[in-house]
Amino acid sequence: MTWYLIRRVGQAIAVVLGVMILTFVLIHAEPGSTARATLGLKATPARVALFNRVYGLDKPIYDQFVIYVNNVLHGNLGTSYSLQQPVATLIAQRLPRDALLLGLSTLLALIIGIPIGIYQSLRHNLLVDDVLASTWFTLYAAPDFMEALLLIAVVCVQFHWLQPNFPGDITTVGGLLADWRALILPVVVLAINTVAAFSQYARSTAIQELASDYIRAVRAKGLPERLVVTRHLLRNSLLPVVTILGLSLPDIVGGAIIAEAIFNFPGMGLLFWQAALSHDFPILLGTTLVVGVATVVGNLAADIAYGVLDPRIRYAS
Amino acid sequence: MRTRQRLAVAVAALTLSAALAACGGGGSKISNANTVHGTPIHGGTVTIAEVGVSPNLIFPLLPSTNSNGYNVNLTEGLWPYLVYIGDGAKSAVNPQESLYSSLTWSHNDSVVTIVLKQWKWSDGVPITARDFTFVYNLLKANYNNWLGYIPGLFPVDVKQVLTPNSHTVVLDLTRSYNPTFYTDDVLSTIPLLPQHVWDRTSQTGPVGNYDETTAGAVAVYNFLQKVGTDMATFATNPLWQVVDGPWKLSAFNSSGYYAWVPNKNYSGPDKPLLSQVEWTPFTDDTAEMDTLRSGTSLDLAQVPANDLKQIPELEAEGYNVFEVPTPGVAEILPNLWPTGSGQAAGPLLRQLYVRQALEYLIDRQLLVSKVFDGYADPGNGPVPVDYGQQWDSAVEKSGGPYPYSPSKADALLKSNGWKVVPNGISTCIRPGTAAGDCGAGITAGQPLQFQLLYGSGTASFDQQNAAIQSSEDAGGIHITLKAEPFDTLVATTGTCNQQSHPSSACSWQLQQFGYIPYSSDPSGAGNFNTDAIGNYGGYSSPVMDNLIDATEYGSSPTAFFDYETYAAEQLPWLWLPLQAGVFVYKKDLAGITPTDPFQATLNPESWYYVKTSS
Repeated sequence: MTWYLIRRVGQAIAVVLGVMILTFVLIHAEPGSTARATLGLKATPARVALFNRVYGLDKPIYDQFVIYVNNVLHGNLGTSYSLQQPVATLIAQRLPRDALLLGLSTLLALIIGIPIGIYQSLRHNLLVDDVLASTWFTLYAAPDFMEALLLIAVVCVQFHWLQPNFPGDITTVGGLLADWRALILPVVVLAINTVAAFSQYARSTAIQELASDYIRAVRAKGLPERLVVTRHLLRNSLLPVVTILGLSLPDIVGGAIIAEAIFNFPGMGLLFWQAALSHDFPILLGTTLVVGVATVVGNLAADIAYGVLDPRIRYAS
Repeated sequence: MRTRQRLAVAVAALTLSAALAACGGGGSKISNANTVHGTPIHGGTVTIAEVGVSPNLIFPLLPSTNSNGYNVNLTEGLWPYLVYIGDGAKSAVNPQESLYSSLTWSHNDSVVTIVLKQWKWSDGVPITARDFTFVYNLLKANYNNWLGYIPGLFPVDVKQVLTPNSHTVVLDLTRSYNPTFYTDDVLSTIPLLPQHVWDRTSQTGPVGNYDETTAGAVAVYNFLQKVGTDMATFATNPLWQVVDGPWKLSAFNSSGYYAWVPNKNYSGPDKPLLSQVEWTPFTDDTAEMDTLRSGTSLDLAQVPANDLKQIPELEAEGYNVFEVPTPGVAEILPNLWPTGSGQAAGPLLRQLYVRQALEYLIDRQLLVSKVFDGYADPGNGPVPVDYGQQWDSAVEKSGGPYPYSPSKADALLKSNGWKVVPNGISTCIRPGTAAGDCGAGITAGQPLQFQLLYGSGTASFDQQNAAIQSSEDAGGIHITLKAEPFDTLVATTGTCNQQSHPSSACSWQLQQFGYIPYSSDPSGAGNFNTDAIGNYGGYSSPVMDNLIDATEYGSSPTAFFDYETYAAEQLPWLWLPLQAGVFVYKKDLAGITPTDPFQATLNPESWYYVKTSS
């Protein structure tokens, strides 16, 4: 296992470096003047030249890349052209909030989705299974912005039960938790689609597991159905869910643009989107790097979790 | 809305998709008169929505690399400009609110003597001429790194600054100016800053007279800009607590939320009655509208352009509505010197009659009523008629030189050698340069067609340009629309002219940036003169140059109207309706209206809650 981990970490470093090179080249291949995009229509040539000198854009691209990598290795992700703040600070402000929001929604989806999926597998091909499957597929197919706006229209505008979005003066995770009522709608909206995915993956795996020999064996031995489900079926049905969970880590740190916009929750998704529109290279590079690292870590965590959940596929060193 | 021409470049970019709000034009739907009456209450908090952007620098002199025009929103209430623009609903100098008691021009309008009022900083120290020379010294040493610098103007146009006494500043300028232009567009962009606190090169170092040497001024400027970006200390750093405006900053956080409380030692006439004003950030229009519709925390907000039809619901939620003209001009830019794939359009757009035909085929009244729900300036020429009536020429007031007229467009084209094909593409049938021919560079059979680039993401722009495409097509001019993100447009297109039109930046034919902001004096300088940085399409005319020079440097009372009329007729740009801002505010909040474009939502020292409303 130790050698396996060393090998995977080595691969991860190579992948992250590849992501950095690819992102850097692609971003710098974008047509047009970054200085003009940032400074606006009436940027004079002198002002453009000053901007390029301040941000090193007047250097050859390979020099810029070497400087960038050197800065990253020293913990410096650069300074945003448009927001004029260190990128590391911007990410540090947003990442914990996104992790809280998307982590809570993922947790909620797990808590709801897996029992529902298992329940459906036990009622396979009965009316209740069809109704639940149809319901979740419908919610899965519905755009999350539509679900968000409908919920806001009913819950906030019509009945004034909850506030429609986050107050602008809250910036910390502690502040978000203190104002927990504002978290309800975005967490629910983000969980809806994930519940559908988790429940239907769990359902289909559980249906296969229910037909397995070991399930028949424990049932033949007279093990109560409750224990069959909780001790044997549930654990083996979680493998595909673990895969989804591992792959969702980059989503958690990458933010959710639509929910962030609608619920006034400035996070990583909006940060990246606005940077993409405004040629803000340092933010694009910084957020891509963070998401790249999260993708690698998520995959690694999923692989390790496989081994924990299923000894048959545990990796030997 | 408090856009300044210098800083508003950035504002224009930032607000296109979000804050370029609805408009009022030929027929205003919403009153801008004071509609709230009652007994004023001392105290109370007003919360204002701030959509999509937020300040990131508290030092009022922005570096060249920081184009965030919203920093002005944070700082102007703390360190107001020497000349205060905005007097009720009028876009005019307000002497009562300004920091000067007199401005006297002499020596053929090349010397201006500024006498400062006997006002004080918030720490009780008098505001003196030394505070002006501090600003001047900083800018003189650093003007290339000051966003507000316009080549040739302040501070490089100052021969010397004299301070005959503690409250008098004499600016000896390198040339004569039109006093109105210089007061409205130059002195209105210069704040006074507290030399007795800020003249230092480190947070803990002593205050000195460092600004009096170039090296010292550079060090002070760099220090103040550096510490001015530290958002975590905006509200706590003692430097920023010494103000001369009606407000002090009491809170600021990284999301862009900030709050003002009254400066108890404010010397000006409008002492704040409110106990606090808060700006709360919103990620986009949808979040803002949801909050307004839920009737919760917002006391004042701009209604997003796409949500104007929800105004009745907002009124039902307890809001009043008012409309403020946008200080600027909406336009389609013709590129007279396109290259590459756009090259064929150059000879066409260089012909005045082609530009006239294009303008005749834009039904501006229809756009105002159908696209902008009536909330737009009609766009009769280079100066909006809703913006500042003192600037409106007779030709603009009468509807402009080119009201919608397909028949006139048809006649123009036919009389210049074109076979006009309504709902098709007209072609040149008489190439040549003689009278009645198509004109220089236009070939036989050349189609009359263009591509129009514009910023994506704003529904009203989509509708407007689709309507223009349709009406032009009906007149035989084919227009292809192409929408791109605004920043992409800015990044990939450049200023093109006869001398310089690289294909990397000049292949565009027609372009619409939304609107170009104006300062208080809406002169064409910077836009239509031959070498102007904002003259994107390369229009060049010695007559225009002279007329613009006369508005800046001359003394003729008719100079501005002469320029305005000529520009309206010559069409360096095609004129379009300009959306206005529509705002809502709580019905027990008074003093918000009447307001002008430069102070809308940003002069809370005039606001107060009332016990009863009528």
